[in-house]
Amino acid sequence: MLPIKLNADKSPFQRTYANQIKRCGEMARKLRFFGEQMTKADISPSAMPVTRTHIDLDDLEVKLGELEAELIEVNSNGEKLQRTFNELLEYKLVLQKAGEFFYSAQGHATAQQREIEAHQVGDGSLDSPLLLEQEMLADPSKQVKLGFVSGLVPKEKAMAFERILFRATRGNMFLKQVAIDDPVTDPVSGEKVGKNVFVVFYSGERAKTKILKICEAFGANRYPFTEDVGKQMQMIDEVSWKISELKTTIDVGLIHRDSILKNIGYQFEQWNHLVRREKSIYHTLNMLSLDVTKKCLVAEGWSPVFATSQVQDALQRATYDSNSQVGSIFQVLHTNESPPTYFQTNKFTSAFQEIVDAYGVAKYQEANPGVYTIITFPFLFAVMFGDWGHGICLLLTTLYFIIREKKLSSQKLGDIMEMTFGGRYVIMMMAIFSIYTGLIYNEFFSVPFELFGKSAYACRDSSCRDATTEGLIKVRPAYPFGVDPKWHGTRSELPFLNSLKMKMSILLGVAQMNLGIVLSYFNAKFFRNNLNIWYQFVPQLIFLNSLFGYLSLLIIVKWCTGSKADLYHVMIYMFLSPTDDLGENQLFPGQKTLQLVLLLLALISVPWMLFPKPILLKKQHQERHQGQSYTMLQSTEEMLELDHGHSSHGHGNEEFEFSEVFVHQLIHTIEFVLGAVSNTASYLRLWALSLAHSELSSVFYEKVLLLAWGFNNIIILIIGFIVFIFATVGVLLVMETLSAFLHALRLHWVEFQNKFYEGDGYKFSPFSFALLAEDED
Amino acid sequence: MGFLVTTLIFFLAGVVASLSVRLCCNGGPSINLLRFTLVVTATVCCWMMWAIVYLAQLKPLIVPILSEGE
Repeated sequence: MLPIKLNADKSPFQRTYANQIKRCGEMARKLRFFGEQMTKADISPSAMPVTRTHIDLDDLEVKLGELEAELIEVNSNGEKLQRTFNELLEYKLVLQKAGEFFYSAQGHATAQQREIEAHQVGDGSLDSPLLLEQEMLADPSKQVKLGFVSGLVPKEKAMAFERILFRATRGNMFLKQVAIDDPVTDPVSGEKVGKNVFVVFYSGERAKTKILKICEAFGANRYPFTEDVGKQMQMIDEVSWKISELKTTIDVGLIHRDSILKNIGYQFEQWNHLVRREKSIYHTLNMLSLDVTKKCLVAEGWSPVFATSQVQDALQRATYDSNSQVGSIFQVLHTNESPPTYFQTNKFTSAFQEIVDAYGVAKYQEANPGVYTIITFPFLFAVMFGDWGHGICLLLTTLYFIIREKKLSSQKLGDIMEMTFGGRYVIMMMAIFSIYTGLIYNEFFSVPFELFGKSAYACRDSSCRDATTEGLIKVRPAYPFGVDPKWHGTRSELPFLNSLKMKMSILLGVAQMNLGIVLSYFNAKFFRNNLNIWYQFVPQLIFLNSLFGYLSLLIIVKWCTGSKADLYHVMIYMFLSPTDDLGENQLFPGQKTLQLVLLLLALISVPWMLFPKPILLKKQHQERHQGQSYTMLQSTEEMLELDHGHSSHGHGNEEFEFSEVFVHQLIHTIEFVLGAVSNTASYLRLWALSLAHSELSSVFYEKVLLLAWGFNNIIILIIGFIVFIFATVGVLLVMETLSAFLHALRLHWVEFQNKFYEGDGYKFSPFSFALLAEDED
Repeated sequence: MGFLVTTLIFFLAGVVASLSVRLCCNGGPSINLLRFTLVVTATVCCWMMWAIVYLAQLKPLIVPILSEGE
């Protein structure tokens, strides 16, 4: 059922169920958050054996809120722990590397000390300044106290770090850096960065503050370090123990989070589905209006006539299931609004109906061009594509799609694949017809075959001397099915085929346009529009057929009699000088008279299309308004409904602007008259594309495959074959298919449909839970 | 085989096709009508195409002139 918005005049926020929709939106947000968390943790929502427990929406809301709070807390705790863990790891590294450095430095220092002592012993009491120096060295209180800062700095900033430290302390510092081989996880950013352990020695308070600031600026993490060797070992042990403890805590935290997410995962799909359904139900409820007593909801909608009993059954079931005391009332309303259009299609016809709907959805109850499109669209495609080899390739491809239909329809395919898969039945029809027209044009990858009997042409004499100058002669009756195979590759092939295909295009075009005009007759008869029958259908039919129907007749007569008449000449002089003698352009006796008659018919059909209809419409309108009309039953019904004040939408303009109607009719007439010429010429694209296809195909065959064959070298043959395959698939099977598809589509949408199609309806799109899933995805 | 004979063959093929479609898958009046329309349209289209090409070759005004080197 398609619901109509009754609350269209209220803003979205005033509507009754706005709050409910907000709640559903909140819940949907929480579910999305869970979904993201689950993808981050690599947990996919599994479908546990679905226990169809009915979940109340309020309970779900509370539960979702709790779960969200819990997850957020677990996440933030996890992050804090992880950060501390990384800091400890870094600290451990600092302890190790700096410890090594101090140890080796100590070794050097003791060695130097021993040297100096040895030196001192050797020198004795000769130099007092030396003694003084020594004393100074030995006196710890007079020693300048060196402080140091140890930590980690990222490798890429190490050079800049060193330089700035040097400049800031005016060289009064000593920096020792040791690179760490493996990258370390930085506690702040959480990424793995290559770092260096550094130790900076400085003297003085000011230097210390400067160095600390520089460390902060460079994001170098500082860690305390003791000089005492014993304490160092103790620190290392302590840090190692803390690290292992933290690791266990973090692991436990992760397991806890994963279990929460898994629990969510079991019911994720179900919750998602439920929230989406509730939201859409509230959206639909918003379209209803509250009754005056505020006790019941009123809904207006469209439903197909055949489904009336189903709707009533469903309403009864709903009343029963919800234990309500008052049943729902289902009543058929009469309205002047135009209903939506609904065509029941199956998987085969739906693609063709979509092609028609893409141009415009049919007005309610007008003739559906889709019926004919199922056959004529692939047929016109095939006229332009005509090669049974290519047709077989297309058919195989599309059969693959059709055979694996069930599997592919549940998968998610890419955009182009999706379109190709959706149109698989269209392409199948196109391929079948292409095989047929390919057999008629006698082209198999541009190679003709003598499949249907012997060719009609042979040499004049046994020596075939003048085969290249005078040509062959027709010795047998015409080739029974299709184009004679002898034509291919001859010098006169193109003139013959061009003439054939152009005349074929005209004949097919006139046939399709006549079909369109006849459909307009059926439309007019159905809607009981006599004006349209007598003052639109009849003159249109006469005009089109007296000109182009006559041309088609001339073509057929010329073919049957083999006359040499020039049809261009005949048609043009039919207009320019109709009373002139035809001479050698005469195809049948009485032609001149016939032409005069047809010309006169065409000339009077133009004002016949133009004038009577507006005048009669005006007369009808006047009669209606003077209440004198007895003829049309519709008008009395309309008057009754006016009295009841039933329909809120007006039924058409009550004013009748004669000039407007006349101009409308004038435009329609001009469009038809000029369109008769232009549309007929437009059908010549059937010739143009089929010529292009056959020429391309023969070029690829002769200039690639035969050329490669001529070299008698297997490698060149293989390369030539591969190039031939790629060219055929890329240009002929893909590009030409798309091109012919497009042109056949245009011929249908414009030349065929503008003869009868209104196409200003709207589609019946009923509310459906099944479509929800597709919408969200 | 002659124009009329082949036209008759096409006509008979159309009749056979519509009968077989009706007999094998009967789906209610409107669906049957749809299928009948489709079969008739297809037969008419195929016949038209064949007839046009056949008639064009009945009494040709030009003949194949072979190109050099054939």
